[in-house]
Order: sequence, then structure tokens, then C-alpha cells
Amino acid sequence: MLCQHCQEREANVHISKSINGQIEELHLCEQCAKKVQEAHVLFQPGLILPDFLQALFGFSQMPAQTTQEEEACPRCGMTISQITQAGKLGCSVCYETFEPQLEPLVRRIHGGGRHVGKIPKRKGAALREKVELSRLKEQLKSLVEQENFEQAAIVRDQIRQMEQDQGGELHGA
Amino acid sequence: MERNELLLQQSAWMEETDTPSVVLSSRIRLARNVENTPFPHVLSAEEAAQTEETLVEALESVNIEGEHLKYLSLDRLMPVERQVLIEKHLISPALADQPQARGVALAKDHRMAVMVNEEDHLRLQVLLPGNQLLETYRLASALDDALEGYLDFAYREAQGYVTACPTNVGTGLRASVMVHLPALAMTNQVQQVLGALTHLGLAVRGLYGEGSQAFGHIFQVSNQITLGKSEEDILAHLGAVTGQIVEHEMQAREALKQQASLILEDKVWRARGILQNARLLTSEDTLHLLSHDRLGIDMGILQKSKRTFATLLVESRPGCLQYILERELDPGQRDAERAGLIRKALSEF
Repeated sequence: MLCQHCQEREANVHISKSINGQIEELHLCEQCAKKVQEAHVLFQPGLILPDFLQALFGFSQMPAQTTQEEEACPRCGMTISQITQAGKLGCSVCYETFEPQLEPLVRRIHGGGRHVGKIPKRKGAALREKVELSRLKEQLKSLVEQENFEQAAIVRDQIRQMEQDQGGELHGA
Repeated sequence: MERNELLLQQSAWMEETDTPSVVLSSRIRLARNVENTPFPHVLSAEEAAQTEETLVEALESVNIEGEHLKYLSLDRLMPVERQVLIEKHLISPALADQPQARGVALAKDHRMAVMVNEEDHLRLQVLLPGNQLLETYRLASALDDALEGYLDFAYREAQGYVTACPTNVGTGLRASVMVHLPALAMTNQVQQVLGALTHLGLAVRGLYGEGSQAFGHIFQVSNQITLGKSEEDILAHLGAVTGQIVEHEMQAREALKQQASLILEDKVWRARGILQNARLLTSEDTLHLLSHDRLGIDMGILQKSKRTFATLLVESRPGCLQYILERELDPGQRDAERAGLIRKALSEF
């Protein structure tokens, strides 16, 4: 067997590690094995990610569900246990279908919060404005906390202007 | 064998920006999926092929600042060509493992490389040399905007861009820098400096991906969190941390110069000596020696060769080496040919 790392030399060092109860086997040559040990601690987070995900999925799963008929995603047909197995969702609709199970998982990975990044153009200007408005409100709050009232007044006026504009659109419509 | 011109092309990210360059390259990856199509891992062979066709049509239609992308279907490439794409950081090993209905759309200079049907329908990648995360993101976002004209990307107000794996949901953004830290390694400070990064929501990997080790004192640092932060915040955070890493490395280089200049000079001259004279070089030895050689160039001790550090790192890998030489080589032959390639490169200044 060739060394899993360099793919060049014969593997003569066999390491098995237990991570989150899963056994992982590594077959390496002597040179690579030495380096693996040196860098082991540093790289552990990357290595354990798939197991970590499965553990997270497993945790949020209800044990009772295995005995009864499982809910399947209407779009792709995946069930929550299949998703757990794969460590991946089946389609974009899974995010709605399994929202209760996914919500705590996503919170544990990303520390909570909603999307505040890029918005696709075709999703429309309204959504972009809404996000911009909540961003400005956050900014206003932190400026007030920092007692930076001058800057806060400018941001407050921006918010007012935006809210007025939106109100105007509503009346016009 | 008939070689593919596009693959032989020098990749833009391997160019040299400035010396000393601790940050070798900047990379942005955006994960995108199209609405109403299951993610690649649940598609049947037929569905995957149909999806590939739709995606490729969009990819080959876009014009990004005057540039077009050309699609390479992995199915039609030789194994060595897939290996070359991995070594040049243009595709992931996972994509090459199952080549059916998968591929990559490449810009001529490889600045843009879009993987099709990997974990997500599209993985938009932009790679530029040196420390230029913002410019790299700007280009990736322009590519994203252009594709949006042809494809309806799956997006939710709360979750942002939805992805097959929940670790990428939100911005779908993975930003990373490739850093060269030989002085921190020589002074045993790598662990101390990089070990702290996981607490800052950043991941550290070796030169070639997830599990690989840091051969050649090269590390990739990237963001972990993709939801609840804007792209700008993610980039600013990574940029600030990168600045800190560069500073630590430069301090370590200065300390070596002040306190151990003879040891430093000996190390880099030995590396140059071996690279210029060795008749057999394994790929790891090569990475290690090139790293010291590069440190010598950065510190003004050694003369810079024509071929850049990153070019030699990549060209000395097994796949690229065989592709350049146009023949299959066993490991022993590779070590000999690799030594020859490096000897030649280090005789041209």
C-alpha cells in the first residue's frame, strides 16, 4: 500500500485514531508519519470536521423518529436520517422541510444570526433595502453605546429618510 | 500524449507580486446552487448530466471584464490532467474522485476556476497572487453577478445562499490566504501563532487541503463562519489576522538575522546548494528546500531565479512533472527528473 499522504513511498506506519468514537485509520510512510505527529494538534480541527458534523446532526435528531414513518422532503425525498448519514442536505427545499432540526445545528456551527451578506439582484431591491435598514439600526445602536452622538445623528437621519421613502412607496402603490 | 494548452498555461496566482512575500496568494470561493434542482450528491447520473449541461451553458456565456471561461469536462481528461488541476489548486481532490458529469470552467490565466457539480452545483473560485483579498473578492462577486443573469441561485432571506453542507450556508464564502512562514517554523513558533486562530473562527490547513500537512512551511488560513457576517466583515477579519501573521513572520526573520545570522545564511545556502546539485529529489525534500531557498531570496542573501517560488512548488509535484515531461514516470524516475527540473530552474537568473 502506498503512503496516503505522499502517494510515493510504501506505507509502513499505521495509525488509528479515535475521534468522537469513530476510528480513523492512517497509512503512512515513516517520513510522513513523523510530520503528521508534529503537526497533529494543529490540524485536528480540519480532520475532525465530518465527524463533528455527524455528531451535531445526531444530537438534534429525535430518537423516537426511527420507529415511525419519517418525514421526507417533498422536493428531493431525503429524510433527516439520510441527511445525517450524508452530512449534507438534499436540496434547497430541505432548509424549509427540516427547519426545526436544522436551526439548532446551524446555530451551533455559525453562532446564530441571520444572513446579512450579499443579496442576489433578482431577489429585488425591497429586500436589499430592508437589510440595509436593519444594518443602519445596528450601527445606530452601537454608535449611541459609544456615545458618538454626532455620527449617530447622521445615521438616524439616514434611517428616517429610508423609512419615509418606503412609506411613500406604500402610499403611492 | 496530446496535451491541453489550457492546462499548460502559467497560472496567474503563481506570479510574484512583491519581495519579501509572506502571503503567496489570495483565494475566494463562493458556493452557489440553482433553485429547483437537488444538490449534486442526490442526482441520478442522468439528472447530473442535465444539470451539468445547464450550468456549462451559463458558464460559457458569461463575459467578466472581457474574459470568457472554457469548460473542461473531467470525464474527458486523463488522470494525470486531473492531477495537474489539483496541484494547481484549480479543483478539489473530491471533484477528481468522481469525474462523471463534473468539471471546471477556467479563465485563460486560471484566475477564475468554477467547479461544476462538486458538493454544490457551482463553486466559484478566484485566485490571485499576493495579499489582495479585496480585489479577489471583487472579481468573484462580479463573476457571481454575471452568472446570476443566466441562473436562478437558491437563496433564502434568513439563510442567505443555501448550500449542501450547512457549514457553508449564508454568504457561501470561503476566503483564504496562502502564507509562507519559514522563520516562524525555524524558531518553533508556528504552533503558537497559528494555534490561536481556531479561537478566532479561522481554520488552518497545509498546502494541499484538509488533512494535508504543512510541507514547505506553507499554510492556508481561511474563515470558518459563513452565516451572520457580511462578506466585508469576513474579509476584514481575515485581512487583519493575515496582517498579524505577516508581522510575526517578519519579526522572526529579523530576530534570525540579528541573533543567528550565520545559522540562517548556512541554512539558505545549503538549500540552494542542494537544489542546484542534487541528482535525486523527493517532492517533500523539494518543498522544504525551496522554502529555505525562498527565505534566502526574501532576506537578500540569495539571488532570485526566473521561475517563481510558487511555480517551482507546483511544477515539482508528481502530476505536473509528468505532464510537463510528457511521459509516465515511476517514483524513482520522478525524483531524478524533479532534480533535473530544479537544477535547470536554479541556473536561470
